[in-house]
Amino acid sequence: MSFFGFGQSAEVDIYLDGQETRKKVEVKGEDNKKELLYLYYDGETISGKVNVSLKKAGSKLEHQGIKIEFIGQIELFYDRGNHHEFISLVRELARPGEMIAHTSYPFDFLNVEKPFEVYTGANVRLRYFLKVTIIRRLADIVKELDIAVHTLSSYPEMNNSIKMEVGIEDCLHIEFEYNKSKYHLKDVIVGKIYFLLVRIKIKHMEIAIIKRETTGMGPNMFTENETIAKYEIMDGAPVKGESIPIRVFLAGYDLTPTMRDINKKFSVRYFLNLVLMDTEDRRYFKQQEITLWRKGEKVRKQMHGGNSGNVGNSMSQAQQQNEQNYDPNESNNVRSQESEHLQEDVFRDGKVTSRSIDNFQGQDPNIKVMTQSSVSENDVEHIPQTKIENMEREAGDGQNDSSNEPEK
Amino acid sequence: MPSTQQISPVEEQEKLLDEALGVVKVQAFQMKRCLDKMKLMDALKHASAMLTELRTSLLSPKSYYELYMAITDELRHMELYLLDEFQKGRKVTDLYELVQYAGNIVPRLYLLITVGIVYIKSNPQLKRDILKDLVEMCRGVQHPLRGLFLRNYLLQCTRNVLPDVPEEESNLAEGNVRDSIDFVLMNFAEMNKLWVRMQHQGHSRERQHREKEREELRILVGTNLVRLSQLESVNLEKYQKIVLPGILEQVVSCKDSIAQEYLMECIIQVFPDEFHLQTLNPFLKSCAELEPGVKVKNIVISLMERLATFSQRCEGAPPNNIGDSDYPPGIPSNVQLFEIFSDQVASIIANRQDLPSEDMISLQVALVNLAHKCYPKRVDYVDKVMLNSVEVFQRLGLEKVESNSSVGKELQKLLKLPVDNYNNLLTLLKLKHYPALLQHLDFYGRKYLSIYILSNALEHETVIPTQEQVEQALTLLTTVISDQSDQPKIEVDLEELAEEQSLLARLVHQFMSDIPDQQYLILTSARKALATGGALRVKHTLPPLIFQAYQLAYKYKEIKSEDEVWEKKCQKIFQFCHATITALVKAELAELPLRLFLQGALAIDQIGFDNHETVAYEFLSQAFSLYEDEISDSKAQLAAITLIVGTLEQISCFSEENSEPLRTQCALAASKLLKKPDQCRGVATCSHLFWSGKSLATNKEEVHDGKKVVDCLKKGLRIAKQCMDIGVQVQLFVELLNHYIYFYEKGNDQITVQVLNQVIAKIKEELPNLESSDEAEQITKHFNNTLEHLKLSINSSESVSYEGLEF
Repeated sequence: MSFFGFGQSAEVDIYLDGQETRKKVEVKGEDNKKELLYLYYDGETISGKVNVSLKKAGSKLEHQGIKIEFIGQIELFYDRGNHHEFISLVRELARPGEMIAHTSYPFDFLNVEKPFEVYTGANVRLRYFLKVTIIRRLADIVKELDIAVHTLSSYPEMNNSIKMEVGIEDCLHIEFEYNKSKYHLKDVIVGKIYFLLVRIKIKHMEIAIIKRETTGMGPNMFTENETIAKYEIMDGAPVKGESIPIRVFLAGYDLTPTMRDINKKFSVRYFLNLVLMDTEDRRYFKQQEITLWRKGEKVRKQMHGGNSGNVGNSMSQAQQQNEQNYDPNESNNVRSQESEHLQEDVFRDGKVTSRSIDNFQGQDPNIKVMTQSSVSENDVEHIPQTKIENMEREAGDGQNDSSNEPEK
Repeated sequence: MPSTQQISPVEEQEKLLDEALGVVKVQAFQMKRCLDKMKLMDALKHASAMLTELRTSLLSPKSYYELYMAITDELRHMELYLLDEFQKGRKVTDLYELVQYAGNIVPRLYLLITVGIVYIKSNPQLKRDILKDLVEMCRGVQHPLRGLFLRNYLLQCTRNVLPDVPEEESNLAEGNVRDSIDFVLMNFAEMNKLWVRMQHQGHSRERQHREKEREELRILVGTNLVRLSQLESVNLEKYQKIVLPGILEQVVSCKDSIAQEYLMECIIQVFPDEFHLQTLNPFLKSCAELEPGVKVKNIVISLMERLATFSQRCEGAPPNNIGDSDYPPGIPSNVQLFEIFSDQVASIIANRQDLPSEDMISLQVALVNLAHKCYPKRVDYVDKVMLNSVEVFQRLGLEKVESNSSVGKELQKLLKLPVDNYNNLLTLLKLKHYPALLQHLDFYGRKYLSIYILSNALEHETVIPTQEQVEQALTLLTTVISDQSDQPKIEVDLEELAEEQSLLARLVHQFMSDIPDQQYLILTSARKALATGGALRVKHTLPPLIFQAYQLAYKYKEIKSEDEVWEKKCQKIFQFCHATITALVKAELAELPLRLFLQGALAIDQIGFDNHETVAYEFLSQAFSLYEDEISDSKAQLAAITLIVGTLEQISCFSEENSEPLRTQCALAASKLLKKPDQCRGVATCSHLFWSGKSLATNKEEVHDGKKVVDCLKKGLRIAKQCMDIGVQVQLFVELLNHYIYFYEKGNDQITVQVLNQVIAKIKEELPNLESSDEAEQITKHFNNTLEHLKLSINSSESVSYEGLEF
């Protein structure tokens, strides 16, 4: 950190207690660069020392006081000037005076509440940092240190499977099932698709994981959809009665927990988009929201298929991330780089656009949310609960995926 | 118009394949290089890139196969490398999960299988779960061609790791044979579905092309069954309860005729006969449920043939049911092989409306073959088939089958089989329903078969020993025996008729019973049947019958000490003969009955039963009346009279009262012949009657009535002189001279050397007048030979004296 003007007369260094052993995670910074940050959890005490060392031995530093702040804030990129701090704690380290020698000031923020997880998205960033300020008359000496915060959730009590019948009348009826509605970040989505009626020539079927980031309120609301992963689950045309297994490992993708209405500023939600493509490149799809949550690291869940439960690294990253915004993988950086090559080759047909956003909101009133299979009032017949939901059908060659981008 | 280069489909395929193979080569090279450098992730990346080539939809099955082979070949390197690493303990964690991040399903699953196998091989504890997972995950590929090859890869890779231990002995994680069965059955079901689905894709005009492609791929599906058959722990019980029902259910439910036909055949070929034997019912039941287009016939026949061969192969082995030779070798006693097939074939025929009738008959043919090979002693089985076949025809409402139609051909095959199998007409006759079935053939077919049966009986010299059998046999041969109502009204080819009738005649000689009474019955039955044949036939068929009757009479004579009433029986026989010959007479035949009468007379004379003189007289008189009434041709007359004379000369049973008129009658008849030479010869012949003829009066000794002999010869000379043609005259003289000499030598005192001299002088006188010709030469030679004989006689001391002979 360089401050011009009077030159740096003192070095400020923040030492965190136990930082040698503390886990570090990669967090994407503002400029999409990944940094390794110390990881803290909610309610964890942040303590340490602030070391101030003078540049020139024998000189002295006059100051109006030294303080350390712990700040959690949300930055909306379209509103650069305004940072919304949801946490701001201050500790006084020294009274105004003169410092004549290298001094070390211990500090602690006891059991500090950290309600949200760090996040860097397309339009919003949520960060925590420690800020040491040596107040001076002309230019304060400031030192900031970002930390990472993960919010852990306990296993959700209610975790129903997602199961529904969808289709397009007389064309396609399918029933799909995902084993849960809430997945932790290293979880495996297991499910199946059962074809009840197939009158179209299906070429293949894939599952896409879509991240939807919503920022702002009212007229200033921005929605950004990003396809994190595209995963082919079926090749060729099935016939009636066929059931196709789904198994998607989430660990390999750059995912965050679902965030709802964080400090009334933004939300990040995830959707599974089941997409069928016919031989004329028409796409049929159905989106289902899933909730992602972060699980404590200690407890490991057995993987499906009797394999060892070690959730490993990804071979693939979401292919759409042309911007190279890789989330540094927690454990093994080298491996994730290797896998990135692999991914490119796998998808070398190049057809996939950088952002295929299937935004249906506000487009078609017929869309029904799966969770309530409600029937709209103007339906003539009273249809029981097994009402078939409409799927989306999109004409064309898939090139117009992004035509209905969100208003921006 | 853009001038696009037209590329033929073949060239295009080659081009596409070449391109794909090029990529494979490059990627495989990279993969191996990365493996050498221990860069597993890079290697996986290249492997995935290589496998991406298998996503193509452009290649034909054949080209795709080549590509598949090239790629799987390279994958083996990966597998070996991983195995090696795992064995060295350098386990890559979560590899199984890792490969599943591949975004495209086809490469992903190939990698998954490859890695899965490595996991299984390095840790058998994972076997059960991984196998289950792999076969389940492969469902993701629904494209027929790609799916088939993917699953084939799965099958290839797992072939050595399928758990093959009985259920009791296994630990849960490693799995047991039950898991293997489930695994393969599932894979099989899915592959079959994919294979069947190919049929329904694309344009209907490409159907032939598609079917050809499917044919090329069928082996992939069949491999599943091979794999099942290779599991050693699949015992009969498992096969019965799990394997076969599983396969059959899939086969039946797929409703695709190509698949059904192939797979049923596959089942037959890959599983051991011992299994088939115990599962005939379910298998055949399924056959009845197959699609209309399926050639069920082929399937069932193939199974039958296999089992029949199996049974024959086991023949060398000791029988498994000691003391019960009714059971065919190799076939367990609880398996009623024939019954099962018979019932199931019946139900197949009943249930499958679409089955062509020739196929129904082919099935019966196969049944007969089976019965013959496995149960050669069970004639009733074959008969049952015959009955069933008759019923089939009745149900079909087929009264007559044209012999050149396909049904007709099958039917003929069916009918010929027992003939060929038994080579014994008697066994054939045990088939009660054979004649009824035969009736369903049209005339030509029946005739063909009759002759076939006939020839067979002749060839194998089958003796038919009872009346009943004779009747039955003749029923079978009825087309040969008599005219049929459905016979075409065309001119009969006499030569052909003669040929077939002589076959029939030969058969008559094989109607032979050791019991004379039985033989008599046989003959009467046979006559009854044969007499219906009409004039053209009886002349061939009745004579052997008559000779048989004569033989029988001789036989009675032989055993007269055993049979008190033999004489009566003989009389009866000759009555029978008489009637039979009369029948021939009625057929406007003359010479034949004449000869038969004469032969009869001879027989009567020799047998000499009670009242035989009357009977013999009757026979001879019949011969005479035939001679007088029916024979008009002068040559024939001469021949007839010669025969009559010869016969009469032999017969000794007549009293003077009977023999005298007969002899006189002969002489009279001879002198009444139309042509002089004939008269002359006839009279000369008659002369013998008076010399060597016998009768009761002379106590069955020769008559030696020298005067009458000379009278006859004199008459002969007289007649000869009346001949205009010198040549004929001389010839007759020479002949007469011979007669003279004969009698002279026999001691007829009425003939003197003078008489001989006169005749010789006469001949010598006339001889030079002959114009030289072949005839003349012959006559001269005859004469010279005669003289030569005389010379020799003179010189020899033993003969009568020729004193005073001049020549």
